[in-house]
Amino acid sequence: MNLNIDAQQQNTFDAIVVGTGISGGWAAKELTEYGLKTLVLERGRMVTHPDYPTATKDPWDFPNAGRPTQEDLKQQGVQARTGYTIQQATKHWFVNDLENPYTEVKRFDWMRGYHVGGRSITWGRQSYRLSDMDFEANAKDGIAVDWPVRYKEIAPWYDYVESFIGVSGQAEGLPQLPDGKFLPPMELNCVELDLKKAIKDKFGRLLTIGRTAHATAPLPHSPQRGTCQYRNLCSRGCPYGGYFSSVSSTLPAAEKTKRMTLRPNSIVYEVIYDEAKGKATGVKVLDAETGEHVEYFAKIIFLCASTFGSTFILLNSISNRFPNGLGNDSGVLGHNIMDHHLSVGAGGEIDGFEDQYYSGRRANGVYIPRYRNVGKDKRDYLRGFGYQGGASRQGWSTLVAEMNIGADLKDAVTKPGKWSIGLTGFGEILPYHENFVVLNKDKKDKYGLPTLTFDAILRDNELKMRKDMAADAAEMLESAGFKNIKTYDREIGVGLGIHEMGTARMGKDPKTSVLNKWNQIHACKNVFVTDGSFMTSAACHNPSLGYMAFTARAVEYAVGESKMGNI
Amino acid sequence: MDRREAIKRTAWIMGGVVSAPAIMGVLKGCAAKPSIDWKPVFLSEDQSILVSEVAEIIIPKTDTPGAKETGVPSFIDLMLKDVYSKEDQDHFLAGLKEFDAAAEKEHGDPFIELSPEIQMAFVKKTHDAAVEAERATTPAPKRPFILMAKELTMLGFFTSEPGATKVLQYIAVPGAYKGCIPLSEAGNGKTWAT
Repeated sequence: MNLNIDAQQQNTFDAIVVGTGISGGWAAKELTEYGLKTLVLERGRMVTHPDYPTATKDPWDFPNAGRPTQEDLKQQGVQARTGYTIQQATKHWFVNDLENPYTEVKRFDWMRGYHVGGRSITWGRQSYRLSDMDFEANAKDGIAVDWPVRYKEIAPWYDYVESFIGVSGQAEGLPQLPDGKFLPPMELNCVELDLKKAIKDKFGRLLTIGRTAHATAPLPHSPQRGTCQYRNLCSRGCPYGGYFSSVSSTLPAAEKTKRMTLRPNSIVYEVIYDEAKGKATGVKVLDAETGEHVEYFAKIIFLCASTFGSTFILLNSISNRFPNGLGNDSGVLGHNIMDHHLSVGAGGEIDGFEDQYYSGRRANGVYIPRYRNVGKDKRDYLRGFGYQGGASRQGWSTLVAEMNIGADLKDAVTKPGKWSIGLTGFGEILPYHENFVVLNKDKKDKYGLPTLTFDAILRDNELKMRKDMAADAAEMLESAGFKNIKTYDREIGVGLGIHEMGTARMGKDPKTSVLNKWNQIHACKNVFVTDGSFMTSAACHNPSLGYMAFTARAVEYAVGESKMGNI
Repeated sequence: MDRREAIKRTAWIMGGVVSAPAIMGVLKGCAAKPSIDWKPVFLSEDQSILVSEVAEIIIPKTDTPGAKETGVPSFIDLMLKDVYSKEDQDHFLAGLKEFDAAAEKEHGDPFIELSPEIQMAFVKKTHDAAVEAERATTPAPKRPFILMAKELTMLGFFTSEPGATKVLQYIAVPGAYKGCIPLSEAGNGKTWAT
């Protein structure tokens, strides 16, 4: 009995998926549904729906009103940079920064969680489609490289993934923000409706309800999911399955096929490349619990480990054929880091609407789609931005600064306060070769693996855009009668948007891109990369829905190629 | 010499022990030292008593519970220990010391020994001056003790069950979202706790 052959066979699958987040869960579902025996590797711990430790706790169930302790901030200092990620209710979904260090040449914010489901548990759920305005932008502007696809090729895949995950929204007929297959939209509140009318009348601009991956109607094809209960505690994980996450949605679909093997605590650090065969044959895994090194083999490999996760694996996969990282003939692997820049906008207060309120906690806000550099509008910068935000009535916290104390305070606080509103911009960051990440073999993480060094900044185009992002918001609020308007424009690092993209971009030419139009590595045709790293430009809106669409499309292609013996 | 000490000496001279109730009767306008029924982990006992009294003045028991009954003073103590930075802890303690010294300067005794009426008046006066000062200065200065105490009291109270459910309103699982409705149709018409 040859133990090596048996072991190899046991470790051999039709396909391997690395990562279980937004894109990995989709790869797992699609590959298994096509009949492929699929190994799904997740570097972090197991998570099973509906086991979310803090999901049903009330405010008084948390120590310290849910605030992070000084000790928490020491362990998760980078993750805390957003100001909201490290709370008692959610901190377990984010990494320990001391155990998972990286180097930032300039400030770079890398927020992540290592567990089954990844950031599909904590994501903001806003789901928008790329349009031809986005796909054509690089070619039109003479920047970076052209996308190798156009909207009409991706549209059916947006239809497909939206129908499965459930996206709530309002069809608006805007060419720069294509409508989707929507479940009923959530409501705007009284003041938001007022702002919507004002900016339409005064500026001809649209304010719509956010398009969000929430089940505002039942999804019969996903019976383990319920509908949104409007608790607005999403980032704790939702026991109702009210929003899309891998664990509540795509992974159960994969499991149902009985063709998925899910192995958590499995850190993939290298793709095994067979120089003779000219293809990848598998991956090397470090078991995070036992420290054991294991190899797994498959004909098809999908890297869905998140933008920097997948690029790390590629950079770390060195061979004679690929001395600079797997698939890196172009030299662009690791380059063109993009994100959305934010922390800029305006807020204000409005008198009136005293007799109006809302009930339920809407886990969604308003969305103002991009209007800058659209149609005839021409600014002194390229691309543009959208706004997210919302209105609400002030609660008890505004009374700290007021005169009331004692019984008077208790009385005052029962009456909902003044209406206030905020609009926060999300701006497109251009692809710059000079914004890049490299492997750092001198600094190791707790597993002895190399770490990453980031060197990326906002540049002239972004900074010019931010002026409009603040001024336009203020102007729109003023037009609707808001008072006490304050703009803000905080100095931030790339990464704070937590929409990191690029570093393994797709393109027509293998000399200037890593992937082709099918998310397939030009130079290694049985490896596909479908997380944010494939993005050739960033657009200005939340990208995750796109990752899902491209992943499903890439799996169909990969399976077809495999059947034809091409990979 | 403080009044208790004076009476103790008088009693000794008069050859008897003066009972506590008797002392109480004599020391009109001078309250018995309040106590706390929890063990502080950061503040000293006297500091805890002071914070406790201040918190109850800010959010008193009315027809709904107040700060003391909902465990707010102990919450404040724990927040200072675990959540506040060293800088903010020091700022709070220095401010507490100043607050107490000002009370003693004005009324002759440390804050916790003053009568409830005087304590309340002193807190109101100090608080109002702090609110005015904050309004008058841009950018706003680091908050003084009284406003830090108010902030913490309110945070602890409105995230407590009685605060969130009896003074404000709270529904754990709303089930639906109604965006634009009359106040009277939004639950019981009070401010939502979350």
